[in-house]
Amino acid sequence: MSAGSFAFFMNLPTLFFLGLVLAYPVIYAGYLSVHQVGLAQLRRGVFAFNGWDNYSRVLEDPLFWIAIKNTSIFTAITVGSEVVLAVLIALLLNQTGIWTSRITRFLILLPYAIPPIANGLIWSFLYSFQFGFLNRILFSLGLIDDPINWAGNPDTALYAVTVPYIWRTLPFAIILVHAALQGIPRELYEAAAVDGARAWHRFWHITLPLLRPIIAIILVLRTAFAFAVFEEILAITQGGPGDATWVAAWYSYKITFSPPNNFGMGSASAFILTLMIGLIALVYMRMVYRRVTL
Amino acid sequence: MSDEVIGKWELSRRRVLASTAGLGLLGSAGRAFGQSAGPWSQAPKSKVDRLNFVVWTYGDIYTRIAKQFEADWGVKVDSTISSFNDHPTKLTTMFAAGEKIDVSQSSPFSFPNFVNQGLVEPIDSLPGAADYIKDFTPFTKQVATVNGKTMGLPYFSAVWVWNYYADMLEKLKIDKPFATYDEFIEHCMKAKKDGVSRYPVLWVAGVGLEQLPGTWYQMTWNRGGTFFDKQGNHMLGAGSVARETLKWWANTFEKGLDISDPESLKVQFTTSAKAFGAGKNLYRGPNHHYGLNVVNDPAQSPIAGKVKVHGSPGDGKTIGVTHVYFLTSATRDKEWGWKLLQYLGGKTKDGNYTQAISLAKDAMLGSGYTSVMNSDAVKQGWAPWGDVPAILKIWDQAAYIGEVCSSVYQPWHFPWTDQLNIEVQKCLTGQITADQCCDNLIKGIADAKRKV
Repeated sequence: MSAGSFAFFMNLPTLFFLGLVLAYPVIYAGYLSVHQVGLAQLRRGVFAFNGWDNYSRVLEDPLFWIAIKNTSIFTAITVGSEVVLAVLIALLLNQTGIWTSRITRFLILLPYAIPPIANGLIWSFLYSFQFGFLNRILFSLGLIDDPINWAGNPDTALYAVTVPYIWRTLPFAIILVHAALQGIPRELYEAAAVDGARAWHRFWHITLPLLRPIIAIILVLRTAFAFAVFEEILAITQGGPGDATWVAAWYSYKITFSPPNNFGMGSASAFILTLMIGLIALVYMRMVYRRVTL
Repeated sequence: MSDEVIGKWELSRRRVLASTAGLGLLGSAGRAFGQSAGPWSQAPKSKVDRLNFVVWTYGDIYTRIAKQFEADWGVKVDSTISSFNDHPTKLTTMFAAGEKIDVSQSSPFSFPNFVNQGLVEPIDSLPGAADYIKDFTPFTKQVATVNGKTMGLPYFSAVWVWNYYADMLEKLKIDKPFATYDEFIEHCMKAKKDGVSRYPVLWVAGVGLEQLPGTWYQMTWNRGGTFFDKQGNHMLGAGSVARETLKWWANTFEKGLDISDPESLKVQFTTSAKAFGAGKNLYRGPNHHYGLNVVNDPAQSPIAGKVKVHGSPGDGKTIGVTHVYFLTSATRDKEWGWKLLQYLGGKTKDGNYTQAISLAKDAMLGSGYTSVMNSDAVKQGWAPWGDVPAILKIWDQAAYIGEVCSSVYQPWHFPWTDQLNIEVQKCLTGQITADQCCDNLIKGIADAKRKV
């Protein structure tokens, strides 16, 4: 047996299970999205085909577009912040001369170990208007005179939910960037130093270009996940106040799992979301994941 | 003379005691007879190894009733318990996935949807159902009867009341709570001006099926309005009571008089009671009466015993609601499912309304049965937390929520309520006016109907 065939057979179990747990639900949801599917139909397993009707109903729903707008803002803030912070923190962690970086390396992982829903609840308590720690700290420091309604004010609610999300997901990005930093050959920096390059120049002309591939991966993955943010919304704002924090995944959830349980429309909205994420990923890849020339 | 009187009284007392004991024995015997004759005491002919129910959480009542069922009938009961807001999702997901569900429960707002989607089994023809139906309160009849069929048994009933913090009122030198909405504003403004309370009123305006919507329904009904007329036409147009009520309500928030606690927009029934227990607000309401068992519970509230119940202005009209348990169409065995349903919403093997009575005693919940509401279980059970006669007086002035907002009987009410929550919160936070809010809701009726 050739090495290629052997590799193929060795991968078959993985492919089978991935197909079972990933591809099947996706394909089935696609099937549901072009059918009229309520609760009773889903239980009976008999659905009437309704073509693109679910898609057009989603696209005509103003709330869907509000959700997309909120999701885009949320994604831009969280992904942008994550990339910048991850690079900065990973650079600090990479400083072997700083002894605290070893402790920090461990501590930085803690938020990532917290379940998303628990994270949402923790921040919900922190944000509490009259009894929250955040207002109490700010008040004690003399920074505010009256408590701020972080999650209950339509002007601040969306931004308020970005913070817990960034706090939870940032370690993932830091780990990736840190790993990439460790893979950059030291000779490049030494050569640059010999040429008289300053720290900023070394970062700009060596570090950043070599981090591009990993940044592309972070952008794609984090955008996909941020577009699907759900737990923090559920725990902190439940979409409110008003529609200030209705995001795309919350929209799909409500359409699907709240009476009248329109599974077809919910699947259609999820597919539209997938398409959007796919397009954004393509743009990222074209923009960022290009050949690095030093 | 006096001795003679005492002797006669002693004699008569003995006689009375003896007679009472005799009657008691007879009563017990009668009940025992009733037990053996009552359908609730007879085992179904079929056999099952287990049953289950899907409910929302409330203390340990479900653990207790499941244990009692198992002890009485030797059948294990599995429970799936989620939060109130997550319950419809949990139930419908399990139903869609083809799981067996014997008994579940519903708020009146989700119930028409569940019935419409074929999740609920009618119970009229089941043994003993007629006796239950005779004992239903008017609220229960309105909720449990769908298209002429009885679809469930009552879980609990509640009416919307106001609460006030008596010490704070005293501090303000106000001798009694508000009797008009103008007085309400006056009291709140005084509390704010005197520095007694920064946010004198805590509303229940968190997103939900009956939280934020219930507050608006109640105040609209109290002022003589409804949301739909008898023909089902909306009553949200210009000059309508509902619209004017919303204008008044929105004006109490930040962009207006700024007397409403901003937490109002997040809190649900119990969380609002807990927040009120911090003693920072003067008024709380209008919402479910049983919040008193939180704010007047020393274990949960620093101001326990100092929170009083209060009726609504004017003629005191308020609203009430009954939540129901129902037999699902996904039951593994209809007879046994009915048996379990009765343990939750009817009588246990001993012929008592065990669950309804313990809910009244332990949780201050009202019952959907007239006999329980008239019993000592309510009068004595509620006493530790509030003025029972005052609450029962308010109870008598309550109309079922469906009279205020008849869309609760419609499957489209649920998606419309989603929109209502959004629009009203936008209005209360000053993003849109009450007029825009009501106009959007009028347009939303057609959209909600299309979603069903």
